[in-house]
Amino acid sequence: QVLPERLAEGKPGQGVLSSFFTNNQKCQLMLLKTLETNPYVKLLLDAMKHSGCAVNRERHFSCEDCNGNVSGGFDASTSQIVLCQNNIRNQAHMNRVVTHELIHAFDHCRAHVNWFTDVRHLACSEVRAANLSGDCSLINEIFRLHFGLKQHHQTCVRDRAILSILAVRNISKEVAQKAVDEVFESCFNDHEPFGRIPHNKTYARYAHRDFQNRDRYYSNI
Amino acid sequence: MADGGGWRPPRPCEVYRAEWKLCRSARHFLHHYYVHGERPACEQWRRDLASCREWEERRSAEAQRSLCESERARVQATRKHALVWALRQSPPADWHLPLPQEEKQQ
Repeated sequence: QVLPERLAEGKPGQGVLSSFFTNNQKCQLMLLKTLETNPYVKLLLDAMKHSGCAVNRERHFSCEDCNGNVSGGFDASTSQIVLCQNNIRNQAHMNRVVTHELIHAFDHCRAHVNWFTDVRHLACSEVRAANLSGDCSLINEIFRLHFGLKQHHQTCVRDRAILSILAVRNISKEVAQKAVDEVFESCFNDHEPFGRIPHNKTYARYAHRDFQNRDRYYSNI
Repeated sequence: MADGGGWRPPRPCEVYRAEWKLCRSARHFLHHYYVHGERPACEQWRRDLASCREWEERRSAEAQRSLCESERARVQATRKHALVWALRQSPPADWHLPLPQEEKQQ
């Protein structure tokens, strides 16, 4: 799974850093930074540990080249998150991809998700990942030239969930759309482990604070 | 709910204040409108902050009751919708197992 280390061989015309690091090395470095500093990810790692699925970087993450422009994926059959080293553009993108895939891993850890046999389960996890990872933040949608304000977030979540489903399942758009529609109400409102939609790092930090405080919280209500 | 001995507010009072301030910020208004298509409601955080402070200062039973009720309502709101899947009693058995290739190499 792990690609053998190679000496840096940059592609011409991609800048100084590119000529010193391979895609794999860049991926590993960015992943390390995400795991150590990103508040979304730190909360997810904490929550997963609490659920009995402690995450080990070498076991549960793999930087690989991928086809198309997929950024990453969660392989439930091997309990591994794949990061597409040829498609992850920068640190912010890495943060978002890791958050997105960890949400799938978290769902796999805490629930009986029939990833391969029930498209509604897949749809639910994709709705949650699009909703909670920052995929559908106002800024990201503007960058994609999707303009809309009032309740646009929900439109984005639906659309991206459908796209994600179609990327991994050989089904029609109508079937994917129907699955998303059926589960949307429940899954859009399931904010575990954040307890809220984390719109930015401040919200994610507050969410982590609340998670760490949960014993006091539940014993005093 | 733990009555009497040993009860304290579910969150520190500073947290109620931080949540209230965040709720009332312009950025939160924008985020909330973007998600829900309406303005956020922040009054309950203010009430909870007041209750928390009242408990801290005067150990008011009414403040305790009000806080508990408010937080329970928040918890209830998150449990409104039935889950699509069944929750596990224990984590997946193969989460920590070595990868298939590694097994073969061993």
